[in-house]
Amino acid sequence: MRKVLNLSMLLMMSSSLMSAEIILQNPDVDEQAPSFSGINSYGKQINLSDFIGQPVILEWTNHECPYVAKHYSENNMQNVQKRAQDEGFVWLSIISSTPGDQGHVDKATANALTKSRNAHPTHVLLDESGEIGMKYGAKTTPHMYMINSSGVLKYKGAIDDVGRGMKFFSASLKDAVNYVATQLDDVKNNKSLTNSSTVAYGCSVKYNYD
Amino acid sequence: MDIMKNILLGFTLLFSSLLLANPVETGHAKASLITNLQNSEQESFYVGVRLEMQDGWHTYWENPGDSGSPFEAKWSTDPGVIVENVQWPTPVTIPYPPLMTYGYEGDVVFPFQIFRSQETNLTAISVDFDFLICADICIPETASLSLDLTSASPDTFLDSQIEDLPTKLITTKSSVEDNNLVVSFKTNKPFANAYMFPRQDNYFTYSETQKLEEVSDGSYKIFIPLIDADPESFSGILSLDGEGFQVEEALSSAGGMSLWQAILFALIGGLILNLMPCVFPVISLKVLSFVSMGGDDHTKIRNHALAFVGGVMSTFLSIAAALMIIRSSGAMIGWGYQLQSPVVVGILTLIMLGIGLILLTNINIASGLTTLGNDVQSRNDYSGSFFTGVLAVVVASPCTAPFMGAAVGYALLQPSFATLPIFISLGLGFAGPYLILAVKPEWISALPKPGAWMETLKQFFAFPMIATALWLMWVFMVQTSGDALIQLLILGLCLGAAIWMIATFVGRWKWIGLAGTVLLSMQIFNNLPSPAELQIDANATSWSTTIESDLQANNQAYLINFTAAWCITCQTNDKAALARPRVKEFLTDQNIQYIEADWTNRNEDIAMGLAKYNRTGIPLYIFWKPGMIESKILPAVLTEDLLIRNMQ
Repeated sequence: MRKVLNLSMLLMMSSSLMSAEIILQNPDVDEQAPSFSGINSYGKQINLSDFIGQPVILEWTNHECPYVAKHYSENNMQNVQKRAQDEGFVWLSIISSTPGDQGHVDKATANALTKSRNAHPTHVLLDESGEIGMKYGAKTTPHMYMINSSGVLKYKGAIDDVGRGMKFFSASLKDAVNYVATQLDDVKNNKSLTNSSTVAYGCSVKYNYD
Repeated sequence: MDIMKNILLGFTLLFSSLLLANPVETGHAKASLITNLQNSEQESFYVGVRLEMQDGWHTYWENPGDSGSPFEAKWSTDPGVIVENVQWPTPVTIPYPPLMTYGYEGDVVFPFQIFRSQETNLTAISVDFDFLICADICIPETASLSLDLTSASPDTFLDSQIEDLPTKLITTKSSVEDNNLVVSFKTNKPFANAYMFPRQDNYFTYSETQKLEEVSDGSYKIFIPLIDADPESFSGILSLDGEGFQVEEALSSAGGMSLWQAILFALIGGLILNLMPCVFPVISLKVLSFVSMGGDDHTKIRNHALAFVGGVMSTFLSIAAALMIIRSSGAMIGWGYQLQSPVVVGILTLIMLGIGLILLTNINIASGLTTLGNDVQSRNDYSGSFFTGVLAVVVASPCTAPFMGAAVGYALLQPSFATLPIFISLGLGFAGPYLILAVKPEWISALPKPGAWMETLKQFFAFPMIATALWLMWVFMVQTSGDALIQLLILGLCLGAAIWMIATFVGRWKWIGLAGTVLLSMQIFNNLPSPAELQIDANATSWSTTIESDLQANNQAYLINFTAAWCITCQTNDKAALARPRVKEFLTDQNIQYIEADWTNRNEDIAMGLAKYNRTGIPLYIFWKPGMIESKILPAVLTEDLLIRNMQ
C-alpha cells in the first residue's frame, strides 16, 4: 500500500516537474498589475508602462471560441469597447492562442477581424508564446482585467454575470450585469469596486503546452 | 449531396414533433434517452441522457474547472411527473496545461430520477439537452430527445451507470493549512490515485497537484491548493481510483464562532463547571477550608487561593498540551475523551471513592489530598491547596458545563495558537471565585462563621463523591464486563482497608498492613483486561458513516442520538426525554427512525461524524425529515416537550 502510494506521489511530482515551465500566475487586485510588453497587429512593440496615466482594459480573446463569437455577434463586446474608449480607457485585446491552435491569427487577419466586426480595440496584441496570458492567469476567452491610471489592477474575471452554464447561449447579453461596463467610473475615479474579482467563463485559452 | 442532406434535415424537423427523436447525432456525439422503467406502475424510476462522444472530445462536470460549462437540460413531461436534478457521475480530470478542467470522456450517462403518482399517465418524456463539447476547441451542441415511456424497454447500461454513481458519503474533516484545504478521510480499501473534485467554483487552484499523505494505516490527508480566500463550506466528489464518494462539510473556521467568542464561552463555562455535581463536593470543601481561615491573616488566605488557582491552571494547561499532542498524531479527540479509556475511568472511580472515605474518616494523609476540610496542621502547606486545584480539575473531567462544550469544540478544531487561550480562559473561569478571593481576601468574612457544622457538612459531602464513584463504576462496567467491575470493586475494598489502617494504626503495624494491601492491589490490577480486548455490543439501529445520506435518499425521517455511558448529560436526556413513552410513541407515529451513535469507547468514525457538525463532544442530537434541506441540531438539554416540539 505504502509502496503504491509512494510511487504515485513520485509520478505526481515528476509530472508537476515536467509542467514546471508553464506556470499560471494569479495577480492580486489592488496590487500593481504585472508589467509586460508585446507585439501589436501592426508589428509595433507595446508596453503596459506606455499607458501610465491612463486606465487600461485587457481582453483575452479568440474569435473562433463560441463564447467570444456570441459576444461579438450581438455587438456586446464592441459596445463595451466603445464606452470604455469614450471614458478614456486604453483597450488591449490579447490573443494568446499558440500557432496552429484555435484563435491564432496573423497580423493581417487580426486587422481584418477588427474591421469586419467593427471592434474598437486600441491595440490587438499577438501573444503567441502565452507569456502575457500566464502573467495574468488568463484562463478563458473572454477573460477581462481592468487597471487604473496608476497601474494598479482593479478587476479580474468575467465580462458579465451570465456565467458558466449553457444558458449563456440562449441568454440575452443586454440584460446581463456587465462587470466591465458598470465599473468603468469606479476604476477611473480609483474607488473600491463592488465586484473586484469574479470567476471568468468561456473557452480555455489555447496556450502552447505540447 | 448537400441538397439531399438539407431535404433530410427538413423532413426530420417536420416530423420531429411526431416522431420520437432518439438517438440524435449532435456533431461530435451521439445522444440518446434511456430509462430503467420496468412497468407502468412504478412511481420512481430513472431516465438517463447518454452521450457517446467521439474520441478526444469531452463534456463537463457541474464545476467544469478553469473553463467550460456544465450542460443544461430542459424537460417536458406529463403533468404530475417530477424530474429531479441530475445525479452527476464521478468526473475525471481533463488537464489542458496550464489549465485543468473536470468532466467526462467517451461514453457517459447523466441519470435523472423521475417521480410520479400512480394516477398520472405516463406517455412520453422529452428533453432539450444543451451541452458544451470540447477537444482542443469547444462547440455548443444540442440534442432534442424524446422517449416513449409506454414502449421503452429497460436499459441495463443505465442500471450499471446508476450503480456507479457517487452516492456514498465519505466522512471527512477539513481544515485550512498553508493555503491548502486539507481534507482528512479514512478508507480500508487500497487505492493508487486519489483526487478531490471541489464543487465550489472560486476557491481552488485546479491546475496544481493535489498532494496525498497517508497519516496512519487507512487514514489519509489530501491537500487541495487554495487561491487565497477560505471557503465557508466545502463539498465535492472524492475519487479513489475512479470510485466516487460524496464529501459534504461545513468548515470549522466558519463554524459561526470567533476566537473571542470562544474565549468568552470558555470563561463562562469554566465558572459554571464549579456547580456541576462531580465537582461541587470538592469545591465546597475548598470553600469550607477558606471558611475555617476566616480569622486568619489575609496574606495566608491570598497564598492559599493563589496556590489553588495555580493547581487549576497548570492542570488545564497540561490537559491542553496533552490534547494537542494527541491531536498532532492525527487522532480525533474531544472533551470526555479520557473517559473512553476504562483504565482512566477505573482510576477516577478509586479517587472518588477514596475522597468519600477520607471525608467520613476524619484522617489526614500526608499527600496531595490533604487540604480537604478544616485541617489545622496543614494550614501552611500551600502544596495542599495546589493539589486540591489539580484534584478539582481531575474530578471535573467527566463533566461538561453549558457553553463549555461549544468552546472546547472550537478549540480542538483550531491551530495550537488558538487552542491555548481557550483552555487558559476555561481555567480562569473555573478558578475565578478563588482568584477574586486572592485579590480581596477580606471578602472571606462574608462567609459564615466556622464551627462544628463544618464537620457534619464535610461528612455529608462524602455521599455525592461516592455517588459519582458509583456512576463511574457503571461506566466502567459498560466499557468492560461484570468481571472487570468486581476486580475494580476489590481494588476499592483494598483502598478502603488502606485508608482505615492509616486512620487507626500507628507505627510498624500500619506499614505492614499498607504494604500487604498494596501488594494485593497490584496483583489484581495486573489482571485487569486491557482496553483493546473490550467490546460492547451494538444494539438497535446503530449509527454508521453513511446512514444520514442513505436515509435522506430514502426520504426516511430520523433522529440521531450521539451518546456515551460516561456522558452524564446524555444519560439525563435519555431518562428525561428520549426514553419517555410519549416520545417513543411520537417517533413511531411520525415514522422517525431512531439511531444511536454510542461513543462510550473510542471511535474515529463517530468523532468524524461529530466534526461534521463542528462538535468534538457530546451530547448531540440530529434530526431530519423529508422536506428539510439540512438536518437540524437539537438543543443539548432536552425535555419531553422540547424534543417533540423540535421534531414537529
